[in-house]
Amino acid sequence: MDDVITLDSVWKVFGENADVAMKAICERGLSKAEVLKEFGCVVGIADVSFSVKRGEIFCVMGLSGSGKSTMVRHLNRLIEPTAGQISVLGKDMLSLSESELREMRARHIGMVFQHMALLPHRTVLDNVAFPLQVRGESKSRRWDISQKCLERVNLIGYDDRFPSELSGGMQQRVGLARALASNPDVLLMDEPFSALDPLIRRQLQDQFMVLSEDLNKTTVFITHDLEEAIRIGNRIAIMKDGRIVQIGTPEEIVTRPADEYVRDFVEGISKLKLVFAHSIMIPIKDYKPKRLVNFDESPRASHGTDLDQLIDIATSTENVIVIVDDDGTDIGVVDRATLLKGIQGGKA
Amino acid sequence: MTEGAHHTQDHSVAAFVDTHTEYYEAEFAKIQGKTGFTISWNMMAALFGPLWGAARGVWGYFWTFLVLELFALVQVGRGLWGELGADQLERYERLAANIARREAQAAELAAVGDAEGAASKLKIAENLRDAAETALEAAQMASNAAATILITGIVLLVTVKVVEGLYANYAYEAQYLRWRSVQKGQIGVRWPSVLFGLIGMIAIWPLTIVRFTVGKPDEFLATFTGGLLGGRLTISEFPVGKEYFTVLAKQGDVGFDWLANNFGDVFDGVTAGIRWVLDGLEVLLIQTPWPVVMFVTVVLALRLAGMRVAIFTAASLAYLAFMGLWELAMITVALIGAGAFLCILIGIPLGIWFGKSKRAYTIAEPVLDFMQTMPAFVYLIPIIAFFGTGKPPGVLATLIFAMPPVIRLTALGMRGVPETTKEAAIAFGCSKRQLLFNVELPLALPSIMTGINQTILMALSMVVIASLIGAEGLGALILEALQYAAKGQGLLGGLAILFCAMVIDRVAQGAYKRKAGSNA
Repeated sequence: MDDVITLDSVWKVFGENADVAMKAICERGLSKAEVLKEFGCVVGIADVSFSVKRGEIFCVMGLSGSGKSTMVRHLNRLIEPTAGQISVLGKDMLSLSESELREMRARHIGMVFQHMALLPHRTVLDNVAFPLQVRGESKSRRWDISQKCLERVNLIGYDDRFPSELSGGMQQRVGLARALASNPDVLLMDEPFSALDPLIRRQLQDQFMVLSEDLNKTTVFITHDLEEAIRIGNRIAIMKDGRIVQIGTPEEIVTRPADEYVRDFVEGISKLKLVFAHSIMIPIKDYKPKRLVNFDESPRASHGTDLDQLIDIATSTENVIVIVDDDGTDIGVVDRATLLKGIQGGKA
Repeated sequence: MTEGAHHTQDHSVAAFVDTHTEYYEAEFAKIQGKTGFTISWNMMAALFGPLWGAARGVWGYFWTFLVLELFALVQVGRGLWGELGADQLERYERLAANIARREAQAAELAAVGDAEGAASKLKIAENLRDAAETALEAAQMASNAAATILITGIVLLVTVKVVEGLYANYAYEAQYLRWRSVQKGQIGVRWPSVLFGLIGMIAIWPLTIVRFTVGKPDEFLATFTGGLLGGRLTISEFPVGKEYFTVLAKQGDVGFDWLANNFGDVFDGVTAGIRWVLDGLEVLLIQTPWPVVMFVTVVLALRLAGMRVAIFTAASLAYLAFMGLWELAMITVALIGAGAFLCILIGIPLGIWFGKSKRAYTIAEPVLDFMQTMPAFVYLIPIIAFFGTGKPPGVLATLIFAMPPVIRLTALGMRGVPETTKEAAIAFGCSKRQLLFNVELPLALPSIMTGINQTILMALSMVVIASLIGAEGLGALILEALQYAAKGQGLLGGLAILFCAMVIDRVAQGAYKRKAGSNA
């Protein structure tokens, strides 16, 4: 799989003396607080590097002020980085001319905003058609496409309404349809569901997951909600004070938090659907039963079985569970104690 | 128990008052312990009055009692040495001299044998004597009042001192509470503050007391300073005549003449431009047959603003027609139409610029204030110098007065466009031009429409003033009514302007509301 988005040690320093401050950071390795004190500059994001593969949903999780919204705005250059390299779809974003950049935004990068940012004086259909209008499509063509996008997000029959007549959840679906209208390769989603109430949020999350499976778009998804990140993301990056603290799959984040900060986040998260047999099992050669165990009578489970399913199996048998790999070879064992430990979140 | 809290507060009082800590701690505790008024006597404050306030940095107290004590002292001074009734005495002396002169004249006339002339002079002298006696009586009464004034002054002074003594700790406690929350301000007694208080008192008290208690303060001061400053030191009026003013005014004249002579072509060009717009509108409104103009106006009102406005428009037009003001009204509408059109044409781009550039707006703001607040007569003068008289200069004066609202409100509207909406548009690849026309202007439109409306109404209010420099129309009618005090004419003309304004306003508002209504 190829990398669609690559960031290489990107920095953003806000303030008048940003360049001087940046130089000082490189030479002397100042901390965020020192930069603020010495130059009056705020470090927005610091030394951020990652890459996103085609079709991947890459979640960026962090608290407010952690720089995640600043970071995502670098991907379509709404914000200019102070240092570093950004490449999207194989193009060096920083070397694009004004018109090339507009072309890139209008055709290849769609964006959804936390506060929808719809145009109040335009109908729903014209809002969705806006990116197409910007790049100069004819009316009939942009209306055709927009209608299809609205169908995609299950918003039918509101074409000629104005955004103010719609509920928050519907408005955000318009926002999503607008981002899809130009059929971009990359979707940037800046806390799209944060302003919605929990029930609608869940609905939209489900809808989005179905949609992205269909469309197979490379997505960078910003959120402050770890549960949302785990539900949606193929991989998750956790940001703190402008830096990326950890990047990994949901399971890696939950089972092996990189530091105290991540551990705090993970604490309250239910592991049942996130932790799989292979990460808690005892390898078969290390398994030292207290009494003689006949593996033949034991139920078999795939190494990709999650804790929830393991509990179901465990309750229907007295024996330990034997874990098998894809070829059906026995590779490990999960007994009661291991399973309980795994649910608790302790190390296997 | 609040023992701990009390303790820290005691410390902060001590830190604040710096000296006499025990006294102030006790007094503040007394004040804070009572809900109503309690007697808290401050001897130092009563003795030194404003100076105590200065020393402690209680400046409100300083200024208040500076003025109150001064008032009491002036009364005391007037009672002690004031030349009360001096003006009446002077009048008496003048009259007495006059009488003596008349009597001398009478004696002369009698000497040459003109008995009749002498008798008439004596008659005049007799009449004057009555007036002189009244003046003398008044002067005596005034000087008899000296004792009363003195006593009043002393009572006043004592009262002020008592109030000073009783109020001081309250004022100081309030100051202390402020200090506690902001941790800024004077602590204890500071000698620079005392010095400043002293200087203030020396600057204010003696001169004021002299001014109010001495009969001829300027002469008194001249003798008092021993002629050191000559007779030039006057305190009753500022010792400068019109010399600077005249020089500067003359310079101004020269400057304007120079501009008028050297940039005549520019001014002529501006005049030609305005005349072009004006002529177009006049042809449209005046030379088109009146039934056509009326019909189109009413239909326009009906289509844009609905039935009610259309009926009102028809009634207003009928009023103008039957009062025989049709042509004057059309001239007026053309005039303000040209003014408003140019205001909008120039004002909206400027407003967009000021809305986008904070620096440009900072520079423009005082200019806009100047345009709106400067009395119209002031800029009428240079306008006449540069552009002569007639309608185009009238339009120009209208421009100056009526343009600021549309500029301000356009800028306001532009700044009111949410950043998030603009960001979203840019994220979808908008160019600057697309952003302006598809996002910023539509979102700023309500504000811009309000600005245009205000500009039109302000242009109408300039009609009479524009007529001062020769712009014809309803304004000239009213100006004429003003000159001949023709009340009826003025009223009818005024109503005509009012109806023009209301029709334009209602049609524009209605049109915009309909559009907005269909959107929302």
